[in-house]
This record gives sequence, C-alpha cells and structure tokens, in this order.
Amino acid sequence: MHTDPLAEISEDPLARIGLIMLAAIALMALFAPLLSDYSPHDYTGKIFSPPDLDHPLGTDSVGQDIWVRLLYGARTSLIVAGAVAILSSSLSVIIGATAALAGGYYERFCMRLVDAITSLPTIVVMILVAAYLRPSLALLIILISAFSWPVGARIVRSQVLSLKERVHINASRTFGAGKRHIIFTHIVPELSPIISSLMMQDARRAVFMEAGLAFLGVSDPMVISWGKMMHQALAFTYLDVWQWWLVPTGLALSATLIAISFLSISLETAMDPRLAKGNTRLR
Amino acid sequence: MSADCSISIESGSPHSWKGNAARFITQRLLNYLIALGAIFSLNFILPRLMPSDPLHAIYGDVALVAMTDEMQAHLIRQLSLDKSWWDQMLAYLLGLLQGDLGFSYYYRDQVSLVILGALPWTLLLVGLALIIATAIGIILGIESGYNRGSSLDRGLVASLMFLSGFPDFFIGVLLLLIFAVSLDVLPLSGATSPYAGYEGLSYILDVLAHLALPLASMVLVQLGSIFLLTRNTVVTLLGEAFVLTARAKGCPEGVIKYAHVGRNSLLPVTTATGMVIPHMITRVLFIEIVFSYPGIGSLLNTAISARDYPLIQGILLVVTLTVLTVNFLVDLLYMKLDPRVRYAY
Repeated sequence: MHTDPLAEISEDPLARIGLIMLAAIALMALFAPLLSDYSPHDYTGKIFSPPDLDHPLGTDSVGQDIWVRLLYGARTSLIVAGAVAILSSSLSVIIGATAALAGGYYERFCMRLVDAITSLPTIVVMILVAAYLRPSLALLIILISAFSWPVGARIVRSQVLSLKERVHINASRTFGAGKRHIIFTHIVPELSPIISSLMMQDARRAVFMEAGLAFLGVSDPMVISWGKMMHQALAFTYLDVWQWWLVPTGLALSATLIAISFLSISLETAMDPRLAKGNTRLR
Repeated sequence: MSADCSISIESGSPHSWKGNAARFITQRLLNYLIALGAIFSLNFILPRLMPSDPLHAIYGDVALVAMTDEMQAHLIRQLSLDKSWWDQMLAYLLGLLQGDLGFSYYYRDQVSLVILGALPWTLLLVGLALIIATAIGIILGIESGYNRGSSLDRGLVASLMFLSGFPDFFIGVLLLLIFAVSLDVLPLSGATSPYAGYEGLSYILDVLAHLALPLASMVLVQLGSIFLLTRNTVVTLLGEAFVLTARAKGCPEGVIKYAHVGRNSLLPVTTATGMVIPHMITRVLFIEIVFSYPGIGSLLNTAISARDYPLIQGILLVVTLTVLTVNFLVDLLYMKLDPRVRYAY
C-alpha cells in the first residue's frame, strides 16, 4: 500500500462535509457555557414553554432549558466517542498485532476470545453489567471498549499477518533488522490508515451505544445524554413539545453519527481502490 | 457454484470433506459454547460480587422490602446461598436446566413465563423484517450494481447511506411522529387495540396496523447494509469471466442479471444476512420501546426501570441463546451453500 489514504481524503468532499459537521458539534460542546445563560441543571420554573428568545428550544417537562442540555449532551457524546476510540483501538492493535507476531497458543486463545465476544449480543450484556455496577461515564467507556475491540483486533491481526510476509520486510530482516526495528519502522506506519479507520468506527459505535444505553434507561443520573433526553421526550408525544425537544435532540445525535460515517466511508474508499470511481474492471 | 464440482479443488487435502465439515462445525460450536459459558458465569458471578448479601443483589432492594422472612429463607435454601460457591453454582445450573430463570418480582410470575409471553411479538417483528429487508435489499442491490453509475444507482446508494447514518431508534421516532402523531393514520403504540374485542379478519387487520410502523422502521434500518453488500458483490462479479462468457453466447440481460450475477451474489449475502440477525435482535429492543410494542424490548425496558434483576438476567440468557443458535444455523447453511468452506478447514 503505497498511497496515503489520509492525504487522499482531504480532497474528498464527503470527508470535508463530515469534518465541518464534526467541528461544528465539537465547538458547540466546547463553548457550551458561552452559548447559553442557563446551567443544564437549572430549573427555570416554566414547564413545556415553547421556544422564545430566552429559551431557544423551550423547556422540558421539569422546566429545564432544552438548548443548554443539548449543548452539554454533545460533550458527553464526544467525550465517550474520543475515549472509546483511543481505548478500543489501542486494545485492537495490541492484541491483534501481538497475536499475529507471537502465534501459537497465545494467538489461538486471542482469536477464540474475539470470536466469542463478537458472537454475543453486546447491548444486552452491557445493560446487565451496567445495571449491577451503577452506571458512570467511566464504566460506560470501559464497557463499550471491552465489546468494541475484537472486530478491530481481527482486522489488525490479518493485516499484520500479511505484512510480515511482504518482500520489503523480508529484505529488512535479511539485512539483520531486529524485531523492534521491523515493528516500529515497517509495520506500525503501514497500519496507520487501518488504525484511523478503526478509531472512526469505534467512535461511531460509542456515540450510538452511549445514546442507546441511555435511551434504554442505563445511564449515570447526573450525566446529560441525548439518549436520555429522547427517552424522556418520548413520553410526551401527545403534546407539541416533541417539535423542539425530541426532534432537535435526535437530529443532533444523527448529525454526529453521520459526520463520523462520512469520514469513515471516505477513508475506506481511499483505502480500497476497487470502490473508487471508474474502477469497475479492477480486480 | 454447483455442488458437482466438488473434486480436485484441494486435491492435496488429507481429509475427506465430511471430516472437514465436521471439524468446521465443532470449531464453531466450541466458540458458541465458550460465549454461552461466559454469559452463564456473568449471570452467576455479578450478583455475588456485590458488596451487599447475594439475595439483596439478586433480587434488588425494592423486591426484598416486599418479601416476607419465610420467602427470603425459602429463596436462600433454593439458591443454596448459605452453602459454598460450588453448591450455589450447582443449584444455579440445575435450575437453568429445568427452565427455571428465577422469579420476576415486578410481574409476580416465573421469569420464563413472562419472557415466553413477550417472545412471539418480537419474533413476528424480527422475522417479517428480516424477510422483507432481505428481499428488497437483494433486488435493489442487483438492479443498482448492474446499472452502476446510473441515476437509479447513485440515488439509491446516496439515500440508503444517508438513512443508515441515523440511529435506529430515531428512524422509529421519525416514523412515529409523522404517521402516528402528525398524520394520525396509524396507531401510536402497542400491538393490538385494547378492549376492542376484534375477532377473525378485523383482529388480523388490527395487528397488522399496529405492526406497520415498527416493521417499516426495522426494514428501513436493515435495508442499507444488505443493499450495499449485494450491490458491491454484483459490481465485483460483473468483471468475472463467466459474465463475459454469458454475454458472448448471447444470454438475455435478464438472465445474466438474475441467474448468473444475482445467484452468485447470494453467497456473501446469505452470510451477511446471518450476521445481521444479532444486530436485528438488539435493534428490535429499541424499536419496540419507541412504539411500546409488547415484545422483549419493552419487557427489558420495564425490567430496567423496575430494577427487576432476575428478569434482566433471564432476557439476557434468552437473547444470547437465540443469537448463538441463529449464528450456528447460518454456519450450517453457509457450509451447504459454499463447497469451499468444507475444504477450508
């Protein structure tokens, strides 16, 4: 692989749109205190008030400002996304790469573990563990990572397996290069596009899982989450309040997911020339 | 891909294909047993790791307040909680083998019976969604991949990719808001109209009207992956020599499209369809909650908010068992469809 997918996607309009959307959401999360006069835990005293200048998205069933909760919800989503992306992809790389390089019983054990975890219905397992252990943001990040790494580990392992048989690595070995040299100057740089693609997929899954678990009622009561807001809003669909409570929250969550997807799709297209335009006959 | 070309693919293989098939199946079975064992141990260990006494942890604080002392003593004896961990495990496994998943404090009934009551609705929803989404996905995928670059292809790819970006439950929420809240043409929640006393045909129509929105949401969120996979497989297959041969001997377009390319794309699609079933089972939980559809998802939602731990555990076991069984069936089917798998192991 002698193209640079990361450089290639900076030209891609899809990746640009994704990046702009993600940057906008990140800025909203970062400057949340400046963008609203309220704190997300304030009770304004007015319930179900429609949008006005004071409350851009009105207030919810307990009188909290929806706009400010939307902003702070972005923080939760992005923190979980970032933390899971780092933790889970590190686990994938460490376990996948060591399995491929070490081989033997260790490799078989790792791959068994990967197969077993990927065949489980993860959400339900997470619900059970989180229900017992009192959900907190840190626990959520660890749980989501614990169920996200196997898919990546499988990809990293097969990539390293094929890499270590490549001609240039064999050549390097003939010249007397040590294991450390081969890993850090040949294998790791070649893995970087795969790792960034893994991180993107992990981040997307993390945003979805965090919101999904909160939507199912598993979340830290003190943490503001888009999923929890949607769950609360769903009980009031008989009032007009859904227009500025349920829909904006869902759209914010969707925008975050779509932005990450755009980046991830663009990166995958750059990595697999078969999917690129005009290459029908390429095999 | 016909079955009669089963000689000389891997002539060097020391095993007969029956032996290979058996090895493949035992390997997969072993994986599933490990996964199941992990779930059993999780269910067994988690409550016992809690700082409070196990009965507290198993049944939760709320349930214990409502329990009499005799009931507590009975439960301690039944679960062998006063004995060693080993005896507790035996009691737990024996109970499971007898189909005893514990007692749901919230529903005041056996967990197994509560789950059995909700299961048919979930199966109905998942089964129908799977069939419809697969059928539509394959047909659209073949049409789109065959006419790659046409406006139909680009429109379908763009819209389905866009759709797959949305979280599952938000698609459900949007359909609910459009059709049940704003337009008010379909029922808002539930699986049947309560106290309507419908019978025969009108009962079926009532069930279908309630099914329409959850089913549509399930199909919409599932369609994208099957469509994209079929389309990409078709695009790759179009470059194969057998397509050229078919064209050269003058096969009509429709035959090439469906009998040659379409049929060969079924193999990866079958595997992928099998792999999406676990996702569908988790998706259906969300969709059911959006529409208050009385299946496993709504049950889980109630169990979480009521902190009914035995019920949560029971649902976890049933869902896991279903997912693993489906995976295993897909493995068997895959092996039947692709002779190469029989040689690969």
